[in-house]
Amino acid sequence: MTHGRAVVAIAILLPLCACGPDPIDPRTQVGPNPPLPEPHQYLLPPMHVSSAVGWKDGETPQVAAGLQVKALATGLKNPRSILVLPNGDILVAESGGPTPPVNRPKEIIMGWLERKSHSAETPGQRITLLRDADGDGVPEERSILLDKQNSPFGMALVGNDLYVAETDAVMRYPYKTGETKISEPGVKLTELPAGHINHHWTKSLTASPDGTKLYAGVGSNSNITENGIDEEKDRAAIWEIDRATGAHRLFATGLRNPNGLTFEPQTKTLWCVVNERDELGPDLVPDYMTSVKDGGFYGWPYSYWGQHVDPRVMPQRPEMVASAIMPDYSLSSHVAPLGMTFYTGTALPQAYQGGAFVGEHGSWDRNPLNGYKVVYVPFENGKPAGKAQDVVTGFVTEANEARGRPVGLAVDSHGGLLIADDAGGTVWRVTGASSQSKAGPSPILR
Amino acid sequence: MLVPIPVVCFVGTLMTDIAYWFTANMQWANFSAWLLSVGLIVAALAVLAGLIDFFGDRRIRQIRTAWIHAGGNAVALALSIVNVFVHSRDAYTSVVPTGLILSAVVVLILGVTGWLGAGLVHRHGVGVEAGERA
Repeated sequence: MTHGRAVVAIAILLPLCACGPDPIDPRTQVGPNPPLPEPHQYLLPPMHVSSAVGWKDGETPQVAAGLQVKALATGLKNPRSILVLPNGDILVAESGGPTPPVNRPKEIIMGWLERKSHSAETPGQRITLLRDADGDGVPEERSILLDKQNSPFGMALVGNDLYVAETDAVMRYPYKTGETKISEPGVKLTELPAGHINHHWTKSLTASPDGTKLYAGVGSNSNITENGIDEEKDRAAIWEIDRATGAHRLFATGLRNPNGLTFEPQTKTLWCVVNERDELGPDLVPDYMTSVKDGGFYGWPYSYWGQHVDPRVMPQRPEMVASAIMPDYSLSSHVAPLGMTFYTGTALPQAYQGGAFVGEHGSWDRNPLNGYKVVYVPFENGKPAGKAQDVVTGFVTEANEARGRPVGLAVDSHGGLLIADDAGGTVWRVTGASSQSKAGPSPILR
Repeated sequence: MLVPIPVVCFVGTLMTDIAYWFTANMQWANFSAWLLSVGLIVAALAVLAGLIDFFGDRRIRQIRTAWIHAGGNAVALALSIVNVFVHSRDAYTSVVPTGLILSAVVVLILGVTGWLGAGLVHRHGVGVEAGERA
């Protein structure tokens, strides 16, 4: 009966070895035409969930040459996204997702694993206002603009209307310039898909350049329809919402988890970053940034990167696969881009003009880790032109623990790049190394 | 006393796997994942009891059928461990085809070992008190 015992041994060991293709260098996948390995389905996918350990006193991320970084605000409760108002005030959404339900045993295990990757701090579920009028990187004022929000993420200001995309609705609040607290109740403009699963809960938000429309990113309700296709109604899409009436239509679909919605300044085209599907291997499927075409379908769930069919979806839809648009630019696999901002300020070196910064929250479905940094993608004539460059790194320790994880990005009124770091509870501010960003009446000269 | 529970769970897994294969309704696949998990947890306890029987009594080890019974159950358990990982995948390929095939093979094996196990009890008196046999 040694045979039986051998089978037992193999059966126990087999799932533990993550047999599959070796991970490739993620840099080879950055750009418009990433090499795509064959999909591989594992018994146990090769994972590495980084523990959130926070920043020790004096620790900061590292920045590329010619830049410097300082904490603008610390002690925040899961800062996720940032909006800079016309008067220079900085809004930070401190937010966390709802507790997911347990529909099968796997979700108990994944829940345990993911818990350690989040900050121990309970998410604030509020919008905090920071005022750094003199632009020295030290806010003179800090207040809670809006409290007791339902997983707020996206924010947009049009005139005197402040829109906040909570996880279940776009809310409108009256805003007066200089206000530090809004006490009026909000008005619900449009309900957004949430429900009891609400797998991808972050609802990114931006306004059209003319201010008539809002665009909301609504992520899928699963990795790859494992909660049932009925749960995906109106999800994995960008909604276009009429600002006057609250009526909506699906502007683009097949975008698994679109975030960082923003208009490219030169062409006024809508762009977003998208988190693609997991558990097909360490180098599938690349997350990406893309311009978004009105009425476009980008593949999820039926296919990825154009016409690559995902075998896990049943029933399959060949006609949908045929219509799937290939995204513009791969950021490589599992980097989890959650924030994007185009840079037109003047405080950073000329090399960062006109392109996009992307905040990569970092991987779990791959070992070694990928992401956990802010990269810069140069643009020319409204299109990515060249390789993404690392701009802010050092979020991960040598032991692969996460000091912090970048999420939303914004540019402040003095041209500094702001980074919401949820696991680190910090908003970082990146400026030129010679501190030329220091605007104000009497800049300190060195 | 424990053995019927994993047997029912693994037979149930095959049934809900077949239901998922025909309907592609995720609820059936979720049933399978739960049945498999519960079946494996209880099976682990049943294996302990079985091993105590098997190694605690030389007379049992001398019965050829007992070896086949134990070996068959070990294979069924091993395949079910692989199967629970297959069922932890997302959507269609968590069941079709690998999970479904594994579930069917496990039920076939359990049918054979169950039959032999009954023989061990009724013909060889394994697990029966001396007084009861008389």
